[in-house]
Amino acid sequence: MIELKNVTKYFRTNQGKRYILKDVTLSIPDGNIGILGRNGAGKSTLMRMLGRIEFPTHGKISSPHSFSWPLGLGGGFVGSMTGRQNVKFVCNVYGIPYEKRREIVQSVYDFSELGDYFDMPIKTYSSGMKGRLGFGLSLAFDFDYMLIDETLSVGDARFRQKAKNALRKKIETCHVLLVSHDMKTLQELCKTGLLVHDGKLHFFEDINEAINKYRQINQTKGQS
Amino acid sequence: MTLRHPFKIFFAVVRALFLRELNTRFSQGRLGLFWTFFQPFFQIALFVALHAVILQGQQISTYDYIVFMASGFIAFNLFRGILSASIGAFDANKGIFIYKQVKPIDTIITRVLLETFISIIIIILFLVIALFTQYPNVFPENFAMVTIGFLWLIIFSMSIGTLVAIGSTFFPSIGKLVGIVSFMLLFASGVFYSLENLPPEIQTPLLYNPVLHFMEMIHGFYIPELSTQYVNYRYMLAWTIIPLFLSLWLYVRLEKRIVSG
Repeated sequence: MIELKNVTKYFRTNQGKRYILKDVTLSIPDGNIGILGRNGAGKSTLMRMLGRIEFPTHGKISSPHSFSWPLGLGGGFVGSMTGRQNVKFVCNVYGIPYEKRREIVQSVYDFSELGDYFDMPIKTYSSGMKGRLGFGLSLAFDFDYMLIDETLSVGDARFRQKAKNALRKKIETCHVLLVSHDMKTLQELCKTGLLVHDGKLHFFEDINEAINKYRQINQTKGQS
Repeated sequence: MTLRHPFKIFFAVVRALFLRELNTRFSQGRLGLFWTFFQPFFQIALFVALHAVILQGQQISTYDYIVFMASGFIAFNLFRGILSASIGAFDANKGIFIYKQVKPIDTIITRVLLETFISIIIIILFLVIALFTQYPNVFPENFAMVTIGFLWLIIFSMSIGTLVAIGSTFFPSIGKLVGIVSFMLLFASGVFYSLENLPPEIQTPLLYNPVLHFMEMIHGFYIPELSTQYVNYRYMLAWTIIPLFLSLWLYVRLEKRIVSG
């Protein structure tokens, strides 16, 4: 259960306040949730708020569950450190004991398929490589919810398939909040849907309903 | 995932950050590492040489000049190190605030610990060299008070450093200004001279500089021939408590904005 109580979020811009959420009160039942919305609607901001690195302007978001850090393209690494050092660092932040840490480093090394790059500074990585490392790392932890922002689209087709399979296996034991523009992925992995639109948050019991609504919005916007 | 106690999280994060900073510090190349530890030796050699040239062998001080400068430079470098490490502390760690456990203040605490750690190694280096060369009078006259002086200096530097870190996040030019000011303070803080050797009309303005009080305190308790007559503990306390509370107040208000970048 994720509860939003009178949540308002806006950013100050040159043209005044830009609202992402406007006084939203909503209870979201647990499950695998797909998040939809047009570019700039606030999907990523919502993810960052759930990951507690962005905060509502007013109101409160509460949940008894643990959330992963928001997995996006490339964030969360220190450029001057190698992939291995970054993985160790994150393990240390989470207080992982030495033995377990070694296992995690090995599993991330195997999963990310970075080879020699694993021991090279992150700043030499392409964004796809960073995404692979980040995704592999997040799989090694046990959260109640994984916050995934478009990371499934990194790498080549084969790696994408591998990532999807790994995630499918992972969500047998946890839930996922997934931002994606790929409707097929959303349908495959998510049961329910959240639509971010015009400062409002709409919850749909069925992801297909959410997708239909999202398409509707896109069409009307296209016509006007 | 099980819930961890806030203190446990804090210690895990500071430990992780410390290991990370240590790693970047030690992998910046041999020259950088060499400079970190031998900077005070160069400073002392330079100022001893200057001293000899200017005074041409005249003895104006009764105390051991090398011990005086060693303690002065180590203390001042610690202050300056903490200050300059604070400037970029938030910005350099922006990428890892994505992990909600990592709070901006952790990065300051970590850098203060690292600078302190480096100072301790330098002190040990000095003492080892002194023991090998059988240099006399290297130990402080009042060990407890010198230690208190150093600890107080660290808290003072951290308070100012936190202010600088917050300020330079929102106004980057503050960072440059602090760099210049801290360099000028090297000459105004009684690092390589004792206040008692200066004429009163210079003493009065210099006494407004809080760092000078710290240097006079450490020197006074370190060197038997020197006293702490000019040290104003109230003034030092004011310069510690006001920045400390101001920085914490600002930090609590601005933490979320710093995290969200």
